[in-house]
Amino acid sequence: MSTLTVIGIGNRLRGDDAIGPMVIDALRERHDTELKLVDAGNDALGILEYFDNQGSIMIVDACRMNKAPGTVLEFNASKAAMVLDMDPLSLHGLGLAEALQMAESLQMLPSELKIIGIEPDSIQFSGNLSPPVQRALIIATEKVQDELHRVAERIMT
Amino acid sequence: MSRDLNIKVHHLTRVEGHGNIVVNMKNGVLEKAHLSIVEPPRFFEAMLKGRSFHEAAIITSRICGICSLGHQMTSLVTTEDALGLEISEQTRLLRKLLVHGATFQSNVLHAYFLAAPDFLNVGSVFPLIATHKDVVLRALRMKRLANDIGDIVSGRAVHPITPVPGGFTSIPEKGELLEIKRRLLEEALPDGLETVETMKALAGAIPQFERETEYISLKHGDEYALYEGDIFSSDTGLVSVRNYLDVTNEFVVKHSTSKHTRYNRSSYFVGALARWNNNQAQLSEEAHAAAEAMGLKPDCHNPFMNTIAQVVEIVHCILDSVRIIDKLIANGLKNEKPNQTPTRYGRGVGSNEVPRGILFHDYTYDNKGNIVAANCIIPTGQNLANIDDDMMKLVPEIVDKSKAEITSNLEMLVRAYDPCISCSVHMLNVEFIE
Repeated sequence: MSTLTVIGIGNRLRGDDAIGPMVIDALRERHDTELKLVDAGNDALGILEYFDNQGSIMIVDACRMNKAPGTVLEFNASKAAMVLDMDPLSLHGLGLAEALQMAESLQMLPSELKIIGIEPDSIQFSGNLSPPVQRALIIATEKVQDELHRVAERIMT
Repeated sequence: MSRDLNIKVHHLTRVEGHGNIVVNMKNGVLEKAHLSIVEPPRFFEAMLKGRSFHEAAIITSRICGICSLGHQMTSLVTTEDALGLEISEQTRLLRKLLVHGATFQSNVLHAYFLAAPDFLNVGSVFPLIATHKDVVLRALRMKRLANDIGDIVSGRAVHPITPVPGGFTSIPEKGELLEIKRRLLEEALPDGLETVETMKALAGAIPQFERETEYISLKHGDEYALYEGDIFSSDTGLVSVRNYLDVTNEFVVKHSTSKHTRYNRSSYFVGALARWNNNQAQLSEEAHAAAEAMGLKPDCHNPFMNTIAQVVEIVHCILDSVRIIDKLIANGLKNEKPNQTPTRYGRGVGSNEVPRGILFHDYTYDNKGNIVAANCIIPTGQNLANIDDDMMKLVPEIVDKSKAEITSNLEMLVRAYDPCISCSVHMLNVEFIE
């Protein structure tokens, strides 16, 4: 049974925006059967489908946080942390902040929801991560592993 | 009225694509009204160069999260055209099922999350959650079923993996298809009909605006064309997909880094309303009943009605998906190997109707099966000139309204087309360093 769902968000063709899906790739290589791994691509709204399961959720996404590129921060989902683009011209404007806002309004937010944000250097069209975000890949992957251990310990005790 | 009007609305999206609305009127004379698309250079076509025919569809499916399935399908048919790969009847049916799922998913999201807030004048979908929670949950339920169709048929919903050039690497089991059929009939169909009722109630808020233009879509002899067909212009009739460049005629405009297109007029319309105008005779009785209930008539020239045409397609796609599943099962599901033995190498052109309109991919392969040239023309790029022409007609008609109202009307117009801003940039000549 999955106790921790990890969702990577981002476009693999958009430089550092690929970090979310690439953390999912890295975790897949480790074969943790306790982990449910989801590469949500850029379909931020799609994450709502995983919110009705019991258990912890972690979202890995490139986030503009005004930090140095490659900075990895773990934070709880709260409205204050995210800026809504409330007036999109297109469905393509719906991002993670809007999806979480919607989940909150629908009272669908999982009780345990953490976000691992990675500050991008560039999200121009490119198939490669920038060097600082390449380094952040390892750090972000470790953070998910740490969380998995915490969840596992809590279940054991 | 001799009015001065200056509107400039900046919209920033998550993916750094910008859609700005710009209007300039001086002494009552409209000088400018357009949607300007500004985006950093797009390297998608360069990314395809040198890639093998196995990789092309995987890469193109990642151009855009919302339009993922559409790009993937068009990529596959383009590669198959270039390499002379025939596909089976079963592959064709499974792909049609995928296209139906993606179409109704996108149409549901557009109708509920972009258009409905406009019709209710509430600014965005968020206020609706408090007042119409059941409606928002219905939309999410429909999106989920569409996603599940993608998951089951293609292995994974957002970036499908089992559809490959020449066929499928694995196919769903009969039980899985029957379960989809059950949910289509028991969940999606009632939800789809409720959607018609919801939109019928809101239809009075749709702006009365008419501008006849050229409507371009695929057309198929036997069915409402989504997966395959020839190009059809409401002005001049059929054109072979292979000759798509005769239709698109891309040209450069100053206010947009994305090229515009034109065929027989200064602009043309692609998307659900074009499909409706060109092909509504091929829709089922149920879809026609939905159209009638919502006030959509044949030869509709109101771009705001694009949303209503999308809702008609929701009903069509749900019912036609059931028909496809019945046919797949009646034919007997066969574990076929994808046909991946090229019979030729060279240029291929592919086209599908994706939710926002007709999409073209064009690849040239070398004799090792690697791409040497690629072109891609997306629906939004084709609609840009039409949006500008709409704005030029609409602004003078509503010039007596307040600036805020005019701005809101123009935004609503753009949203009716649901432009794909994240990939709408079709760059000029860019030098790529390889």
